[in-house]
Amino acid sequence: MPTAPLRSAPSERPNAADSELLAFAQGAELAVHDLYTKAIDSGRFTGDELTMLEQFAAHHLAYAQSINGLIGKDATNQRNAGVYGAYSGQMTTGSAAYRTLQALENTLVATHTDILAKLENHDAAVLVASIITVEARHAAVFGVLPNLNLASALDNTASSIAPASNAPAATSETTVAP
Amino acid sequence: MNDNTLSRRELLRMGGLTVVGATFLAACGKQANVPESANIASVGVVPPTTGLPAVEVTDAVLMRTAASLEYNAIETYELVLSSGLLTGDYAKLSDAVKRFRDDHTRHADAVNSLAVQLGGKTVTCGNARIQSLYIDPAIELITASGNPDAGVDVISLAHGLENLATQTYQGVVGLLSTSQLRAAAMRIGADEARHAVVLAQVLNPGYGAVGPTTNETTGKANVASVPMAFGSQASVQISIGAPNAEGAKTTVAMETPSLNSLVYDYVSC
Repeated sequence: MPTAPLRSAPSERPNAADSELLAFAQGAELAVHDLYTKAIDSGRFTGDELTMLEQFAAHHLAYAQSINGLIGKDATNQRNAGVYGAYSGQMTTGSAAYRTLQALENTLVATHTDILAKLENHDAAVLVASIITVEARHAAVFGVLPNLNLASALDNTASSIAPASNAPAATSETTVAP
Repeated sequence: MNDNTLSRRELLRMGGLTVVGATFLAACGKQANVPESANIASVGVVPPTTGLPAVEVTDAVLMRTAASLEYNAIETYELVLSSGLLTGDYAKLSDAVKRFRDDHTRHADAVNSLAVQLGGKTVTCGNARIQSLYIDPAIELITASGNPDAGVDVISLAHGLENLATQTYQGVVGLLSTSQLRAAAMRIGADEARHAVVLAQVLNPGYGAVGPTTNETTGKANVASVPMAFGSQASVQISIGAPNAEGAKTTVAMETPSLNSLVYDYVSC
């Protein structure tokens, strides 16, 4: 006699191409997390401003952890060295840090949207979509605070950095526990 | 006992079934002075069943639904601009409202174009169910006499609609059949999220209002620019209208279009 399943079937794992794209996305998220940490540790921000930056940093770590859970052993769990290196020298003042962090958020929105256009896995697409909306919010916040600049809040001219094939090498700074 | 014989109890049971069956068949048959109907005969006149057209949730239907929400937003912003609700400190928001309206017009054109490419028809009016369930009652509350906060309430409504649009685009990602369409949806969804942030900062400004906070008096969540780490699919709640004796406003809970409010192929403006 057939028995009813105790729980629904597990979701299908992302295929190799999807995993490669998601691994890149994870590396980019960890790089941006580390750049937020650099801004936080600079001593330029205090009070609510500092709390906001800590929240945004925590969000990026949460995205990296979620992607890690999705792709498992295919995750590099290391930040993208290219992204970190390209932006880490730009945060020389408080306002420069804001411009840099906004540019990074806009770049992540463009990159994840580009990745979404290639992903086949349903669960991965749903996760990436839920990340895009919040990273767009992060970017908009930097256009509203400290003073409203409508174009800065609403327009995204950043380009995707998603690879067509293999992801670039990663360093071993921030890692996510496998 | 022989297998072919029937016991007295079995005979009685069969007799009972025959009587019941004959009564049922008689009820189904033609009767004097009762109008003929396709329905099972019954006492009195049975109204015909309401028929629903056959529908299917296709990519085109999802794009048409998105277009209808864009028109809900366009029409609401048009009302905001024409009604004179943006007064005092809120008058300076008219440029932002115009920009939002124009963005939604551009979005509507984009999703309508996709709907046509997918074999559907364009939609150039708001989603009727969203309008009647949420927007019309909200406008009624906002414009009612005795509401001292019409200006801020209309911003609350716009903020709620932007969050609803964001959630709708994020939600259809799980339903659309191709990755290209999912990306197209999220290009627009990201724009709506940015609108929501600008309006959230009007309602609750400053760095301290970016993340989630709670009103210590009411215990309710304050408006936040970035309320969660991941895009939510929960209902969108706005507080609008004249405050009651306790100072509380009416809460309107809005949800993204579902199976009974999608703009199917047969729905027209």
